[in-house]
Amino acid sequence: MSDALLSIKNLSAGYGDFVAVESVDLAVKKGQIVSLIGINGAGKTTLMHTVAGLHKPASGKVLFGGEDITGLPADKIVAKGLSLVPQGGRCFTRMSVQDNLLMGSFPRSARKNAKQTLEHIYELFPDLGEMKQRPAGNLSGGQRQMVAIGRALMGDPECLIFDEISLGLSPAVINDIYKKIKRINEEENTSIILIEQDIHRALKASDAFYVMLKGRVALSGQSDEIDSETLKKAYFGI
Amino acid sequence: MAKRRLKNDNVRVLDSLPMLIVCIAAVSALYFVCLTKLASNNTMRYMIQIFLYITMAQMWNLLSGFTGMTSLGQQLNIGLAGYSVAIATTKLHLSLGMGLLMGVGVSVVVALLMSLILYRMEGMYFSIATWVVAEIFEKLFLNWKYVGQGSGMTIRVVPYPRINEICVVALTVCVLAVAAVYFLLRTRIGLGLTAMRDDISAASAVGVNVFNHKLFVYTIAAAFTAVAAGIFLVNKGIVYPESGFSISWTISLVFIVIVGGSGTVGGPIVGAVIYVFLQEYLARFPGWSNIILGAITILTILFLPKGIMGTLQEKLGFEIFSAKRFSYSKRR
Amino acid sequence: MYFAQVLINGILLGSVYALLGVGMTMIFGIVKLTNLAHGEFVILGAYLSTVLAPLLGIDPILTLFITVPLMFLLGFLLQYLLIGWAMKKGSEPALLVTFGLSIILQDGMLMLFSADAQHIPVSYSMDTVKIGSLEISVLHLVLFAISLVSIAALSLFLRNTYIGRAIRATADDADVAALSGVNINRIYAIAMGIAMASAAVAGLCVGMKWTYDPSAGGNYLLIAFVVVVIGGMGSVPGTLVAGILFGMAQVIGGASYGLLISYILLLLVLIFRPKGIFGK
Repeated sequence: MSDALLSIKNLSAGYGDFVAVESVDLAVKKGQIVSLIGINGAGKTTLMHTVAGLHKPASGKVLFGGEDITGLPADKIVAKGLSLVPQGGRCFTRMSVQDNLLMGSFPRSARKNAKQTLEHIYELFPDLGEMKQRPAGNLSGGQRQMVAIGRALMGDPECLIFDEISLGLSPAVINDIYKKIKRINEEENTSIILIEQDIHRALKASDAFYVMLKGRVALSGQSDEIDSETLKKAYFGI
Repeated sequence: MAKRRLKNDNVRVLDSLPMLIVCIAAVSALYFVCLTKLASNNTMRYMIQIFLYITMAQMWNLLSGFTGMTSLGQQLNIGLAGYSVAIATTKLHLSLGMGLLMGVGVSVVVALLMSLILYRMEGMYFSIATWVVAEIFEKLFLNWKYVGQGSGMTIRVVPYPRINEICVVALTVCVLAVAAVYFLLRTRIGLGLTAMRDDISAASAVGVNVFNHKLFVYTIAAAFTAVAAGIFLVNKGIVYPESGFSISWTISLVFIVIVGGSGTVGGPIVGAVIYVFLQEYLARFPGWSNIILGAITILTILFLPKGIMGTLQEKLGFEIFSAKRFSYSKRR
Repeated sequence: MYFAQVLINGILLGSVYALLGVGMTMIFGIVKLTNLAHGEFVILGAYLSTVLAPLLGIDPILTLFITVPLMFLLGFLLQYLLIGWAMKKGSEPALLVTFGLSIILQDGMLMLFSADAQHIPVSYSMDTVKIGSLEISVLHLVLFAISLVSIAALSLFLRNTYIGRAIRATADDADVAALSGVNINRIYAIAMGIAMASAAVAGLCVGMKWTYDPSAGGNYLLIAFVVVVIGGMGSVPGTLVAGILFGMAQVIGGASYGLLISYILLLLVLIFRPKGIFGK
């Protein structure tokens, strides 16, 4: 575990009296793609929101690059290179595509190379390059998702978390986005966490996997070693 | 989990017979004091102020604390009531009672007209709109010759009632106001109101007629505020646009409710007593009084967000005048 | 001709009303807070300029180089230390805290400066320039220039800087802004600082054009409200147009009916277009 870029240790979090995440351990190595699988309400999003600083943990630790980032506010965590792409392609709807992307380079460390990174993102998502000045609120769901990914990339992250990136998108668009994710991972050696409900897609795309159920990790392992029966059992808790 | 349940397990003091008896006894004692002139005139002057502030603050509490309509325009009803009493008694030579009734009538009519605005607005839009309407009336009265424009009107009541008579009337209005809020909140309407305060769209989704509820509460608040303000201004003897329609009325009511405890029936009572005495005490430091009132309001919001009564109820685990219809302990 | 005169005066004065609204609309759009102390901020700005100009022997307009940074700092600290704290307890507590602040400021100024009406005198207050048959007050032209430059500077700042973008982003979706590395509480404090700085400029204009006293804040708060609501909360261009509409109402209605006309205009807007003329 010592070579992990991100390691979550015994983390618990909840809302009021309700415990949504209970003693979770999870590790992501540099350059690794990890999928976090589970049904609705399993605690995946709460876990990752807690890691990213949107939610306060009840107990446990989060280490990133060997540094303790437990309970830091979201903006500090982003500046350290851990970025979350929230569910549903959330964008600044009243701002232009370009301004949305530029927002991603808000952390001081990212501002220097903002111009080059922006070019790189337009190359990665040519669609966005053609609508730089359009308000993000006028885009399609898939395009918004691209803006959200681009925005996260502008911060030059070492680890990216994608929260249910395929939600509500057509299969063609999903395939496209997954290809882009693979490319980001290969080109920049960026570690990636995919929160997914779709078991097969998640396994195909990732190196390692974690299955969550009722706030706990029910099963974890290497994505190419697991048989789908065992996985399904853990997924549904049967 | 356990802790949360405890809060709902509060002993509901007024539900118990002893508390009811204590309340009736207290009110009777107050009546006795007023009627027999046991208290000095000075004491009674304070009592009148307290009773009237309780009434007006209870109404603001009903609007803001229980229903979520934070009005910044209670001075509208106060000014209208003051002018109605002045016109009725000084110009038309009617009795004080007729004057107060006229005040209520005018306030209710204006409240019903206000429904046009209420229907459209929520939250801070409502707050601004209520204030703006009060300002509009101030400007209208400033330009209206019949009511003396900027210099206003004196209120001459003949024969002028004795102070203990005013005290009895004020106490009666106060008791009626508290009782009205208490019983209103325990009816079906009260349940709808609290639901609206907590989430207005959810409330309307489960079938609460939001508009009717708002209008009803707003009208009741207007009527009670008008009566209390009428009596208050008779005591002052004069009403002019900048005093009658002044935002400082609402400032006082906000202070009373916030310090006493917003959303509790007991809060405005405690708050009004504190306010009247504090004002008397602060009169020694001219210029500082509003600064101190403002500072107390801010500190209360930061450190005792539930006010005195709300905090006491939470700490001691009892409720006087519970507005809840259901008690968890009873249900189990 | 009368119409042209009204139009010109309405536009010139309207820019001041717009400036009054800009600080309010920023706080509403970004911090999602109704700042009931905005009127007192304006009056405080007016007093600062009134006191500083003769003290330093400079033109009143030059006092802005002191009052604007000073008020920015004050607003920043106020939000960071006090209002932000109240906001954690909900939107109503925060509203009431600004209410408390307005009372404290008003009576504080009353004790410091007395209830006497004040005015910022300028040498050109009576001068006019003639364009054709139109007579235009030099003072109005100066006020127009100050207001327009301030609003334009603010718009450029919001459009083209990292902080400006972060402010717009926070107004749009605070969570996502935080995920982009924005410290939301700091942005709120900066927004309050800007609002207060704009109040400093507005205060100067108010003091140069009209007389004022410590209790005048409520009036300017209401004017700001009217302009902001008519223009659509949070919209700077909307505020500009609403300010000019308001200005024309003042010019047409005069001292006794000007405010009345604009209040009624506000109520009509609230009833028929609750989100403002330019709101979405």
